[in-house]
Amino acid sequence: MGAVGSYFADIKDAVTSIFEGMAVTASHFMRKPYTVQYPDRMPVRVQDTLPFRYRGILEVDMEICTGCLACERACPIDCIAIAVEKDKQTKQMIVSQFDIDIAKCMYCGLCSEPCPTGSIHHTTEFEGADFSLESLIRRFIKEPVAAYKPKKGPETDPRIVPILNRGMTYVDEWAQPGGTKPAADDEETE
Amino acid sequence: MSEFSTEEMTLNMGPQHPSTHGVLRFIIRADGEVMREAIPDVGYLHRSIEKIAEKVGYHGFMPYTDRVDYVCAMFTNQGWGMACEKLAGIEVPKRGEYCRVIAAEFNRLASHLLSVGTMAMDIGANTPFTHALREREMINDLIEELCGARLTFNYMRIGGVAWDLPPGYREKALAYLEHLEPILDEYDSLISFNKIYVKRLANIGIISAEEAINFNLVGPNLRASGVKWDIRKDIPYSVYNDFEFEVPVGKGEWGTVGDSMDRYMVRMRELRESCKILRQALTKIPDGAVLAKVPRNFKPPAGECQIRIESGRGDMGWYAVSDGTGYPWRVHVRTGSFAAMGIINKLSRGLMIADLVTLIASLDVIAPEIDR
Amino acid sequence: MQQWVDSLIAAGKFGPNPPRDLIYALFILVFSAIVFLGVAFPFAGIVSWAERRVWARIQSRVGPNRVGPNGVLQWLADGVKNVCKEDVVPTLADARLFKLAPYLVVLAFVVPWAVMPFSSDLILADLNVGILFMTAVTALTVVGVLMAGWSSNDKWSLIGGVRSAAQIVSYEIPAGLSIFPIVLMTGTLSMQGIIRAQGWAPYDWFAFANPFTFVAANILFISLLAEGNRTPFDLPEADSELVAGFATEYSGMRYLFFFMAEWGNLFILGAIITTLFLGGWQFPHVTDDRVIMNVLQLLIFNVKVLFLVFLSMWIRATLPRVRIDQLMSLCWKYFIPISFVDMIGAAVWVAIWPNGNPAVGYVMLALFCALLILFIRRVIYYFRRAKMELYLSPVV
Repeated sequence: MGAVGSYFADIKDAVTSIFEGMAVTASHFMRKPYTVQYPDRMPVRVQDTLPFRYRGILEVDMEICTGCLACERACPIDCIAIAVEKDKQTKQMIVSQFDIDIAKCMYCGLCSEPCPTGSIHHTTEFEGADFSLESLIRRFIKEPVAAYKPKKGPETDPRIVPILNRGMTYVDEWAQPGGTKPAADDEETE
Repeated sequence: MSEFSTEEMTLNMGPQHPSTHGVLRFIIRADGEVMREAIPDVGYLHRSIEKIAEKVGYHGFMPYTDRVDYVCAMFTNQGWGMACEKLAGIEVPKRGEYCRVIAAEFNRLASHLLSVGTMAMDIGANTPFTHALREREMINDLIEELCGARLTFNYMRIGGVAWDLPPGYREKALAYLEHLEPILDEYDSLISFNKIYVKRLANIGIISAEEAINFNLVGPNLRASGVKWDIRKDIPYSVYNDFEFEVPVGKGEWGTVGDSMDRYMVRMRELRESCKILRQALTKIPDGAVLAKVPRNFKPPAGECQIRIESGRGDMGWYAVSDGTGYPWRVHVRTGSFAAMGIINKLSRGLMIADLVTLIASLDVIAPEIDR
Repeated sequence: MQQWVDSLIAAGKFGPNPPRDLIYALFILVFSAIVFLGVAFPFAGIVSWAERRVWARIQSRVGPNRVGPNGVLQWLADGVKNVCKEDVVPTLADARLFKLAPYLVVLAFVVPWAVMPFSSDLILADLNVGILFMTAVTALTVVGVLMAGWSSNDKWSLIGGVRSAAQIVSYEIPAGLSIFPIVLMTGTLSMQGIIRAQGWAPYDWFAFANPFTFVAANILFISLLAEGNRTPFDLPEADSELVAGFATEYSGMRYLFFFMAEWGNLFILGAIITTLFLGGWQFPHVTDDRVIMNVLQLLIFNVKVLFLVFLSMWIRATLPRVRIDQLMSLCWKYFIPISFVDMIGAAVWVAIWPNGNPAVGYVMLALFCALLILFIRRVIYYFRRAKMELYLSPVV
């Protein structure tokens, strides 16, 4: 009776399990699809929905770049090229070249972590595809500028204040070593 | 029937194939449908990552560890972070450890979901694959809020993690876990109890407990053969001692202990266990710092260290030798998939070609992890 | 159609003494072209779009929806793209057989449309061995598939082709055996005859006439799925094992021919089952006007066939594939004994109740409706459990 019993048990198992499986897929047929129909059938641009910490294409705010070369040292694949020299007369640091090769960049974030003012930061841009390889080297300096010298007190230049605020917000997102910042998510809701 | 002479043919399940998980090559000697031998040929994805470590230094190597196993990037990050911390004697703050555990367990969920989905796809059903990827997309969204990237996270640093949990994260994560558990039941109805899956998976590729230990299998592959070995419980690291969770072991209820169905079921059960750990971690997380003070020019004292962590594929070993400079002398990663390749030839004698695909899928082989 | 042409000739439309054979040949050519080119091939194209949309919805995604309104012209775009592709014939392949194979497979899909009963008057050729003709011609795919597998000079294609040949030939047997109960009950093999023996109401259909025909309907459905190389029996084109099975070396339009044949076979599958078990084009007699009745019958026939096509797409999205030895054991150890028992049971039934037993029809229909309600309740259970609000991305 064992073989005959298992024969019919097999048939019954097959029928019931296929029944269950078809019920699951039928229920999926009724649900709305999860797809986001990027890029043309969307109410907002995707770039505006990405979180603040999103590591997209790099951008440099030259107004607050101090020329400290911390990002160039931190990059593991040497995709940042900066040329800084001290001007003999004005005793200021002049930055003459700031190139980021976004084709080489692996979007790891190791460069924006040590930046003191947040001038090099990741944006939410991710559409970098282009027809020429040269356009993938982003040159952020058109003519040599003086590096930014961070002031002891709060910044007073009205042109730089918003940029510096945004930069410092970015810098504050990173974890502070040793921990003076309180935990961010316990009592606040979004 | 035994007088019927047949010829064997040598097939090449080449590097480009829709279902070898990554770039793998198998040289199959088959007699009709039944295989006599399946020799794996690895090395197509070798990128010299271990050598690159000697050039980029300790901090700079962290993004490269993501690429060792891109499905379990948090675990590789954690492994490298722990290796450097052990070399230099740095202690990670408690909250940092909890953040690490949360990120790692989310990654384990994502990795197992992918494994289950691709196994279903290799067997022929395409729906569970897209459903699993949909769940994985939601996890990716959560991790994107946490660290900014969806696949190669680079979330952890030497001494802790790079970002704290953002505001409102805990509610979102708990809501996601609420959503996931009925979906796991759906997978059970759609995959696990379906008669066709059971017939395709049960009694295929049976690995006994001694064979599993002899061939160096780790992780869910080892646990499916009945050996209860989980680094999180047996050699506890980080804060896993604070959590209560079970270690699922294969019981052979659908076939024999150690067959493909067991490996699949162990992964499904681990999904539920990870949900448990995540709930506990999200509610018990303490306040404090998440990153210890580590100098920018990280120069650990000369010496070597060895770390074992439980990644999605199993026991992942990290071995680092330092010579006192800012660049490591040698880094080595020992991954579970590499060991799994060794047992495929032995298991595939007598299986059919369709079963080879099932076997590779059930061993959860990820090609970049084999070749690094 | 032959009676219509005869009536035209008798009415003198072609002159006093027309050459009959020439007129028959002309009408056959014209109407076959209309049916094959105008109905069969576009159907194969549109059902590819429909299949992709149905699959996509089951998989929580959208499917092609850009080309044309809702993506309806996607198949045209695919066709044009494939025609523009390079025609690759491998150097070591047997070129003549390689090029011939897709056409044989398409032949096997196109010819049964000649006996498809669209409505009471719209049938190209009402053969009195209609159903036998249909099942026999669909088996021609074996020749095409074997030819494709062998001539590709590729071991993977060979494996795929041989698997497919074994599969189709084996599953002819349960398919043929499942047709027998119907033939016993009606005494005729002609398509129109079988349909006329049923009524328009579900309890008059042969599917619910007695438990043996119900089982025969299910076995016929599964066997026809296996003959058409559909999941769960799509080993010959197992995309995750053999890249594309027997069609691995094909590219461009030749490749598309194989798949066009597979999709078109869906309609034939639906048509066979509708004719035999679901009452065909039977529609309640609401008007005496012949043209309107024909239109309504055409509509109801298409609705039934398209439902079965949807069912096979749904099954394809749900189930994994079975292994070749499991497929063979399923056929020989399960389906064939069951269909033999079925045949004997149906013969006994016809001996006892030669004109059918309407009461059993009502009971069977009630049981089936109960099963359907159980199914719908399960679907609603899964639907409710899923907590839909978390599904939708905040951007959508």
